[in-house]
Amino acid sequence: MKVTIALKGTLKKLFEGDTERVFEVPDNCTCDEALQAAGINYKETRNFGFVSVNNKRVMIDSRLSDGDYLKAFSRVSGG
Amino acid sequence: MNSRYDRNIGTISPREQKLLGEKSVCVIGCGGLGGGIIEGLTRLGVGRLTIVDGDVFDISNLNRQVLSNEDNIGMLKAEEGMRQMGQINSETRICPVCAFYTEENSREIISGHDVVIDALDNINTRKILEDACEEENIPLVHGAIAGWHGQVAVIMPGDRLIHTLYDGDENYGMEKETGNPSFTPAVTGALQVAETLKLLLNREGVLANKVLTVDILNHQYELIDFGD
Repeated sequence: MKVTIALKGTLKKLFEGDTERVFEVPDNCTCDEALQAAGINYKETRNFGFVSVNNKRVMIDSRLSDGDYLKAFSRVSGG
Repeated sequence: MNSRYDRNIGTISPREQKLLGEKSVCVIGCGGLGGGIIEGLTRLGVGRLTIVDGDVFDISNLNRQVLSNEDNIGMLKAEEGMRQMGQINSETRICPVCAFYTEENSREIISGHDVVIDALDNINTRKILEDACEEENIPLVHGAIAGWHGQVAVIMPGDRLIHTLYDGDENYGMEKETGNPSFTPAVTGALQVAETLKLLLNREGVLANKVLTVDILNHQYELIDFGD
């Protein structure tokens, strides 16, 4: 199946300027697995914040469906 | 009603303006976000503001913190806020609390307010604040900034959005990489003031269970649903 991944904040540099990329991933894979397919290990990524699918906050181990739009946001905490 | 609030009318009604004068808001943090928020609420005509910060102004604050200036470096932020707001609107009662917000004083400081505003700069204290707001049954208006990016949310008691948003153990975010320029706290803080106004006046359109993320560099403004 295909999913679209967009990176936000300082994570964006991991896509070298691309706003989003489309990836072929195994059916029923998790957000974590899809990010790994995009070359991103969230546990080792500085200031990784949270993920959303189709603009709804989900957990990193939530499963994806064909055509889903996965966004990964940087952690923002300044004031 | 005196003419001080003439330009508020139309956006809000004369009845709502009067109602604002009877409301109280607690702002936790008098730095980048807090300074603009305090000024915004004072100019709107909120009746009572408690402004909380144990810190003093530092020269590195001058790039973005509107309450800071070259003459008040080393002075307490909350006391300076009270002094400066007294020059803007003597009808707003400003109550400074020159102390850091902690688990020990968390409930006492916010108790009795209609709305609490998160203008903090770290995650651990935000979690303490969310817990206290839940225990005191007070809505919390969250804001956070980093570089070109900001985020805003309204957290009704029990929603636990802060604990969901920041589900790790880290205390800081990408602001340690990006710094914070002048315009990001201005944009984000203004949105927090608007959400606070809506809450105080029981208006529709409050950002409950949603996080508005703001990317000023690319002009991307996204609403992420944090509901069940």
